[in-house]
Amino acid sequence: MGRSFGTGEFLFLLKAIPSTLLLSLGALAGGAIVGLFVAILRIVPSRPLRWLATSYIGLFQGTPVLMQLFVTYYGLAVLFKIQVDAWPAVLLAFSLYSGAFLGEIWRGSIEAIPRAQWEAAECLSLGFPKQLWYVILLQAARISIPPTVGFAVQLIKNTSIAAIIGFVELTRAGQLMTNATFEPMIVYPIVAALYFILCWPLSLVAQTLERHIDAALGIKQHF
Amino acid sequence: MNYVFQFNVVWDHLPELLEGALLTIQLSATAMALGLLVAIVCAYGKSAGPPPVRWLVAAYVELIRNTPFLVQIFIFYFSLPVIGIRLTANTAALVAMTVNLGAYAAEIVRAGIEAIPHGQVEAARALGLKRLQIFRFIIIFPALKTVYPALASQFILLMLSSSVVSTISAVELTAITNSLASTTFRSFEFYFVATGLYLAMALGFRAGLGAIYWAVFQRGRTA
Amino acid sequence: MKIGLRLMMLAMLVAMPAMLVAAPARAESTLDKILKEKKIRVAIDVGNPPFGILDKDGQPDGSDVAIARQMAKDMGVELEFVQVPSTGRIPALLAGRADVTIASISVTTDRAKTVMYCNPNGALQIVIFGPKGVAIKTPADLVGKRIGITRATLEEATVPKMAPQGTNIVWFDDISATIQAMLSGQVDAVAMTSFAGKTVADGNPDKQIETKLPVTTAFYGPIVRPGDFELRQWINTWLFLNTQNGTLASLYKKYTGLDLPPLPVF
Repeated sequence: MGRSFGTGEFLFLLKAIPSTLLLSLGALAGGAIVGLFVAILRIVPSRPLRWLATSYIGLFQGTPVLMQLFVTYYGLAVLFKIQVDAWPAVLLAFSLYSGAFLGEIWRGSIEAIPRAQWEAAECLSLGFPKQLWYVILLQAARISIPPTVGFAVQLIKNTSIAAIIGFVELTRAGQLMTNATFEPMIVYPIVAALYFILCWPLSLVAQTLERHIDAALGIKQHF
Repeated sequence: MNYVFQFNVVWDHLPELLEGALLTIQLSATAMALGLLVAIVCAYGKSAGPPPVRWLVAAYVELIRNTPFLVQIFIFYFSLPVIGIRLTANTAALVAMTVNLGAYAAEIVRAGIEAIPHGQVEAARALGLKRLQIFRFIIIFPALKTVYPALASQFILLMLSSSVVSTISAVELTAITNSLASTTFRSFEFYFVATGLYLAMALGFRAGLGAIYWAVFQRGRTA
Repeated sequence: MKIGLRLMMLAMLVAMPAMLVAAPARAESTLDKILKEKKIRVAIDVGNPPFGILDKDGQPDGSDVAIARQMAKDMGVELEFVQVPSTGRIPALLAGRADVTIASISVTTDRAKTVMYCNPNGALQIVIFGPKGVAIKTPADLVGKRIGITRATLEEATVPKMAPQGTNIVWFDDISATIQAMLSGQVDAVAMTSFAGKTVADGNPDKQIETKLPVTTAFYGPIVRPGDFELRQWINTWLFLNTQNGTLASLYKKYTGLDLPPLPVF
């Protein structure tokens, strides 16, 4: 304890970055599956299904990520009597969270497609699922890329909350190094800089992509 | 494994939880008001100011938006004292939340300002309105009305992210929940109820913000 | 009769293996599961010197960590650490994330309502300590001062009882945050184990950290989930043997510099 911040300590921080990225990517993948499901459920003709999707989104958008993490991490085994290790539990929590936000983003993208496209597809005697798959989704996907990338940045930052339950990613590594070196003025700004290096390029990509997509469609997601 | 739920422990402590919720509301509302002020100043600076100001605001916004809120509050509370700035926990929380909201809201408000047709401003100038009047009536008011939904969502996100200020010992709902959970060992029950309280507050804020919209932007107006 | 006897013998011949297979002696206990999977999961807190720390290679170390390693070795199973902050020591166990928590959990009756203690493996003392400039000589001096304590610890349970009205108690989620708060001057003094205090003082000689007030002393021990009697009994047996052969005492001395006091059993 009380060692000065040197290369060893910096390496410890760097070694935590893969955990942050892995968690983010995993949650994005898991959330993509959930999100697609949720987005489609939001636009199907069935009212109960739409209500289900809306409630799901409302639940995850209306509660703190920290609470979602606590309930999943400490409650999963208690509620469903299944044992999961730390990684799957945290991954599940962030996937469910991502699914809600991605679902909302993608619903917006789907709804931005002009009604005429749906009608034209119907004229070609395609049923609802086929309309969705062959005509709408591809176009919606293009529109949804900028806000989705923007959300990915949000996700990387939110993985820092896993530090609070002791999960070792970049922020927790920063806490541990601060404890070892007693130099918060050195460690935390470096941790912030590392996150900046991870996030800023992605933010720029999102902003550039957004300029290329027709902003008149009115989908400005502000995160 | 047999876990026996004991929610009655939570109900016994409900007054303390509600007090925590009140503290969260106070903290968030103050940060919202201050953050909006910061945002308006920054948005104006970015869209109408000289290049150094524009650059400064851009740097501030990018820095905040690409680093995690948790790391930001650690820096405000743990790192600043090293260079002589010591903020109490609740002050550090408020400052961090204001700074954080300011950056996000600045982008939102700026988008609203830039959406004002320049013809409006020219017409106002032709009518002899002074600069401040132009800003107040022609620019800021319509801009805020346009971006209000995005702002409201950002405000609610802020209220939810207030839960992590518990890590720097600021007192709000999550901190009180943590203390109660650790002294009664009923973590899951407490987190479950606290999540419900946050959801209630999120819904409440949405309703409240909607009422404010009606009162400020719609009452007695035809447009 | 002959046919009847033969039939009966045939029936018994068939039934016996069926009985052996169909009736387990008892339900699988956590100990059974650990031995079957050849893995034990131990919850530790690496922010809690000297019971749990991270060494310079970022690997867990400390008196409780060393005990966990020895225990797993003697059990003949692989060891998996579940790192938790102090607030997670009991929830992680109850949630099934760990089979046992060895993280200086002091024995209290409140905790005993939700977890099962094994026999103690050490003793600790909770003190209030702070930089030299802070004047605290009696409990009355605490009034108006900010005292940092960590949640889910013995100090959280005891300090509010001995601190007079007017003391500003500040809570943190883990011990490293509490330590940080004192070092950055955000609190005037903190309450935690005297061992942690010594570590902090040694690491920051310029701040001249000194002990101000004793709060309480306690024994601490490993904890298991309610109902895991077999595991508890194994751990108690292990503790008994390692008290006899001096392993517990030498590990304790290695990390705390003190002699292990006589440990009670219950």
